[in-house]
Amino acid sequence: MSMPADQHYDAATANAAMLSSTRPATWRWYLLALLLGAVVACGLYAFSYQVMTGMVVTGKNRPVMWGFYITNFVFWVGLSHSGTMVSAILRLSQANWRRPILRGAEAMTVFSIMIGGLFPLIHLGRNWTFYYMIPYPSQYGLWPNFRSPLLWDMMAITTYIIGSSLFLYLGLLPDLAVARDRAGGWRRLFLSVLAMGWRGTAQQWQTFGRASTLMACLIIPVAVSVHSIVAWDFAVTLVPGWHSTIFPPYFVIGAITSGVAAVITLMIIIRKAFHLEAFLQPLHFDNLAKLLLVVTMLWSYFYFAEVFTTWYGHQPIEWEVFRFMSDKYRLLLLIMLFGNTVVPISCLLWRRVRRSIPALLVITLLINVAMFIERFLIIVPSLSHKNMPFMWGSYTPSLVESTVMAAAFSGFALLYMLFAKFFPIVAITDVREETEALRGTAVRGRARLTTLVDEE
Amino acid sequence: MELLGVFASVEQAAAAVDRLVQAGYDQATITSVTSVPYPPGVFVHTQRRSWLHWVTAGGALLGAGAGFALAAGTAWLYPVQTGDKPIVALFPTGIIAYEFMMLCALLGTMIGMFLEMGLPEFKRRAYDPEIANGLIGIAVTFADETQRHDAEQALYSAGALRIRTDEAPA
Repeated sequence: MSMPADQHYDAATANAAMLSSTRPATWRWYLLALLLGAVVACGLYAFSYQVMTGMVVTGKNRPVMWGFYITNFVFWVGLSHSGTMVSAILRLSQANWRRPILRGAEAMTVFSIMIGGLFPLIHLGRNWTFYYMIPYPSQYGLWPNFRSPLLWDMMAITTYIIGSSLFLYLGLLPDLAVARDRAGGWRRLFLSVLAMGWRGTAQQWQTFGRASTLMACLIIPVAVSVHSIVAWDFAVTLVPGWHSTIFPPYFVIGAITSGVAAVITLMIIIRKAFHLEAFLQPLHFDNLAKLLLVVTMLWSYFYFAEVFTTWYGHQPIEWEVFRFMSDKYRLLLLIMLFGNTVVPISCLLWRRVRRSIPALLVITLLINVAMFIERFLIIVPSLSHKNMPFMWGSYTPSLVESTVMAAAFSGFALLYMLFAKFFPIVAITDVREETEALRGTAVRGRARLTTLVDEE
Repeated sequence: MELLGVFASVEQAAAAVDRLVQAGYDQATITSVTSVPYPPGVFVHTQRRSWLHWVTAGGALLGAGAGFALAAGTAWLYPVQTGDKPIVALFPTGIIAYEFMMLCALLGTMIGMFLEMGLPEFKRRAYDPEIANGLIGIAVTFADETQRHDAEQALYSAGALRIRTDEAPA
């Protein structure tokens, strides 16, 4: 546990390296921000056009009333899953390799759930009446219908947005103090307000540790409930292909799969953009990829269990939905199966692939493309071929919907960029805790071994 | 009032705590100020009881009650009889109560944490910004000038680089 006399300088260098994202922006940063901002502006224009013209500008029709917007909603809520949840699980299991990835993953959750939460509002039609969902005593005597899964969604997503933001802020608190002590000007004032006078006394650290554990315990069941409720949006209806008891756990596993893949993608981008190679090492990607391998296997098991049961039962309407999907959307179905099952399982078994950054980037991007397609294939074929054959139809997304979707992706990237510019994107104190406070050396026989103190 | 000795190494800071205790200071008046959490006992033992989990539990109970009251209470106040279905739907009420319970438990944990930490801190406290860069602070509360003198001596003799106070600069 001894600390070298020049520890002061090592810690200062580590702080500077981990705060590299907060350095003054370059012209490339501004250019990228401008481009992303332009796409967001296009999306806002498309949305305003939809509000002025009506839902006729979308591809939605009878019987396919849910299209790209709800696909995006399920996708973004799924994406939000892993950040906070994986961070909480790794924190509780005291996995030391978690430290450099915590902050990036938690920030991803907050921004993706914010984006996801916008889609039901965009989808509403009469968007200006969105506040009817909020239970308050109005002069109309109008109360929301608590039996509607859409209201459960609103409650769950609100809880998750607040919970994951608090979880992100909690982890940030000591890092805000580090950043405050190194900053000047308005940035110092801004960080001082957010750090609330944190000093890092023994008492504060003890309470911080207890609160972190409690928050981690609480956020996991919230995350599970959010995607279970999103799954019930589908499963509690009598629509063929949706009315299935396996949907909640299947959705949760799908969400964790896309979330873990997105965490890896973001870590690769952050590592390259902010030169964090010393902190985000192949070991971290290897461990995350192992986790991804396990969840893709679970997802594949759930998917085939669901399809096998449908095929074995061969109920005419259920099978008709599957036949329609595999006929009209064959290419999408194949991409989904390759992206979610064949490619990740066959590649991530190999250590060399798990430690190869370019290979992981391709695999994780493919998984999220496949996951988006999976959400689309859950929603559209089932609505296209419901119980009444005279009402069968189809759906093609319109330009307005595609523009709003592009704006959502750009908005997410922009929010993430801005966050990294103002706040530490690597959990500084978590990373330094391992090297400075927990790691030491001990002599055993003739060897000098590295030791690690148990966190308690 | 408070003094803060700033040290370059863990050993020096730990020695400073030993010297303060030898000089007659109660451990409860001594604390460490660090930018990373050290295991208990490396510098000091914090013995204050925590009631954080009770605040969390209280928040959870309050939330569950509020969620139940909102969902079931609304149904009772504005009953809509549909077929033979009950006025209060248990499953949706359970979901709303659960979400409110978790929300209030999360909020309760954060509020409890800030209360227990004494944050936000508006009072000027002894601090050195170099602590963020890995230096270690040992803070001690003193009552009079004699105690202050003893504490300064103990901190300097253990190898303090400098000593800060919570007094406003002259």
